[in-house]
Amino acid sequence: MGEVMIQTTPVAEPAIWVEVLSRLHHDVAARYRFVDVPITVGRAYDNDVVVDDPHVAAHHLRITRGENGNLIAEDLGSLNGLYVDRARKPTPEVTLDAGHELSIGGTVLRVRTAAHEVPAETPMLRGLPYWPSAILCIVGVFALAGLDLWLSETQEPKAIRYFTPLLILTVAIVVWTTVWSVLTRVFTGRPRFGLHFLIVAIGLLGYSIYSQLAEVGAFAMSWTALANSSYVVAWLFLGGIVFSHLLVVNRARRPLKVIVALILVAAGIAMQSLKQSEYRSTYGQPALLSRLEPPALRLVSPQQESAFFTDSEAVRAKLDKARTEEPTGGGPPGDDDDE
Amino acid sequence: MRAGAFARSAGRAVAQIFCPLAFGTLVATVIASAQTTTAQSTAAQTPPAQTPPAQGATAQSGSPAPPAAQPIQAPVPPEPPLMPPTPNVSAAAESIYATARPGLLQIRTLVEAAGRQSSIGSGFLVSPDGLAVTNYHVVSQYALEPKTYRLEYARPDGSQGALKLLAIDVANDVAIVQLDGTELPHLEFDPAALEDKSPRGERLYAMGNPLDLGFTIVEGTYNGFVEKSYNPRVHFTGAINPGMSGGPAVTAAGKVAGINVAKRLDGELVSFLVPASKASALFERAKTEPPLDLAHVRDEIDRQLITWQGAFYHALGEQGFKDTTLGPYQAPESAAPWFNCWARTNADETPRPRALLDSTSCNSQSSLYIAEDIETGRAELWHAYVRSTDLNPFQFAAFVSTYYGGAGSIRPWSRKRLTQPECHEDFIQRNESDKGGPVMRAVWCARAYRDFAGIYDVAITTVTQDRDKEALVSRLAMKGVSYDNAVALAQRFVRELAWAK
Repeated sequence: MGEVMIQTTPVAEPAIWVEVLSRLHHDVAARYRFVDVPITVGRAYDNDVVVDDPHVAAHHLRITRGENGNLIAEDLGSLNGLYVDRARKPTPEVTLDAGHELSIGGTVLRVRTAAHEVPAETPMLRGLPYWPSAILCIVGVFALAGLDLWLSETQEPKAIRYFTPLLILTVAIVVWTTVWSVLTRVFTGRPRFGLHFLIVAIGLLGYSIYSQLAEVGAFAMSWTALANSSYVVAWLFLGGIVFSHLLVVNRARRPLKVIVALILVAAGIAMQSLKQSEYRSTYGQPALLSRLEPPALRLVSPQQESAFFTDSEAVRAKLDKARTEEPTGGGPPGDDDDE
Repeated sequence: MRAGAFARSAGRAVAQIFCPLAFGTLVATVIASAQTTTAQSTAAQTPPAQTPPAQGATAQSGSPAPPAAQPIQAPVPPEPPLMPPTPNVSAAAESIYATARPGLLQIRTLVEAAGRQSSIGSGFLVSPDGLAVTNYHVVSQYALEPKTYRLEYARPDGSQGALKLLAIDVANDVAIVQLDGTELPHLEFDPAALEDKSPRGERLYAMGNPLDLGFTIVEGTYNGFVEKSYNPRVHFTGAINPGMSGGPAVTAAGKVAGINVAKRLDGELVSFLVPASKASALFERAKTEPPLDLAHVRDEIDRQLITWQGAFYHALGEQGFKDTTLGPYQAPESAAPWFNCWARTNADETPRPRALLDSTSCNSQSSLYIAEDIETGRAELWHAYVRSTDLNPFQFAAFVSTYYGGAGSIRPWSRKRLTQPECHEDFIQRNESDKGGPVMRAVWCARAYRDFAGIYDVAITTVTQDRDKEALVSRLAMKGVSYDNAVALAQRFVRELAWAK
């Protein structure tokens, strides 16, 4: 019996899976099952796995079993070599013990045995799991936007003033969500519209709440910068939203996605700050509290009048410095002709 | 409301001031400039025989104009007099013109590089050695940019030459210039006018070169000093036109009673003269003092502005404030006589406003012309009592915000002349020592003049913060003020804002 067992050793070894991965997201593009080694990979048709990659040699790679039973991949002397994971230098031979990814030419391979353990199943959410919360958030966004419009309504109330912005907001949300769904569908096969919708809804609600608080807080605390800098927070929210969308599209390459989101945020803030400062210097618009609130919302105690004028004196030094500096560029068009 | 300065380049001034006439006058200007050149070329042969321009420019050109030009120009047909003309009046004007004419000047500001005139005005000789009086605004371009412009005169006999700028007085809009020559014909000041004692109703004759058409004489009436003007101005009822600035207004005896300076655009024949006493004072100064240093004209203007605003704000302080009651509040208004006040309400607007706003605005009549894009010297007090009829407290606060936010934009932004505004805002309360008064939101905004050290445009706006649906919005704006004077007046202003007793 013992001898027989030794002779049938290959049968007892677990099956070997060779997976060809997509180049971009390393999803499995093709998967081959083998029970025996050696397995050869190359462009020639006498290989076990044939890849149509011009950068792959006719006989590029061979997978064999080492003395201790481990699988070993060896380069068969190809021009472009064998690269393991993200290594920068080719290896002639590698032991496949930790689910390495092998790059030959432009093709990425992964070798796993039947013994490979898979993670536990994720629970399947039936129906429309994201929709109720997403809709709740959107209702919140609309309610806040409507409230804001209503509270700043000083003329005859007209329904159209509410409908137009709300309609624009709706269209923007739909278009935005759809674009991300289409992208996700392209890369993963599932649109995941509900999840994308939820991301937008949460992001918008968060920003709506923040901007209202900032507006009221700027008045309450007499801190103008709070209201005037809410665009910075808006871009941060947008960065967060974009990052979340990217994660839904694909969970891989998180650091890259963080960087993309950060670049977006930084570029956005820089652009808007520049625009604001240029506008201010062109039209001489000072940064002031743009909206007063009912007196009851004031939290800080008022300054003594004499202290206010002492602070006003401090403005003088800035002006005296500014007057000696040359004005940059010209004013708004036709400015010099003002009479 | 707007007093037009008169030395602007003809085309521009015409477009601005005389909109309905723009086309016809523009044609006239073109013809007139052609006429001027012919006048110059013939001038050398027959200097004294220059006929004074009478009516249409085509009529003056001397050369037979093509008949087609007639309808465009539409010269005024001589009207049959209703009454036989009083022979001595017209004779007086004739003889006055004949006597004064040799002393008149047209003063041109030329662009140095192009050698063409960019603006024109008038002037008159006051001494045999070539000293002449004109308006500061006639020579302001040259005074501020002596490298870009130069000054030239043209006399009625056709002679021309360079002018030297000797002295300026920006507050009274007078300048003294000098041309080379000796034993020149000149005008003298009217002794009564020098003592500011001219009789109201006295007939005056304003002379100058309107719209570059040629030297003219205009009959009008002396109507005393303008009551609400801080800078003394004579009210002259007569037609002064662009280009006549700096020309003399003389009495029947041919003595100078004033200098043409401005007119109101919203009235008819409402014109202003600089009192002869101011011109005479500068003339006396120019005779003894060293001439203006052209490299430092801005410093001189700066000095004059500092002195002027010192006197103005001192006088304003002396006059004090009187309180007006607006709803539950008490607001200060200047007791000085040189403020022009207007009230406005939105109560009669349609659709019915959801918050009622009653405002009063008081402007000091103390504007100073420094350059085309620098007009300074004014103070403005503005109060608005606002109450909600239909707005909730948030909406009411939003309504009031539109008046609060406007505090920064003191004037259209010209960064060539002014720095960016710098502001300071906070909630304020009157010092504990003086009891009572509402908490207010206040914003202080100031800009500095780039050309003049120590001169600022300042505005302070306050909004009361003691009621949900009622507020007093107040603003004090000061142009061309020193920082200390601005702070002092603003502080006084804020202390006067209180609850009505």
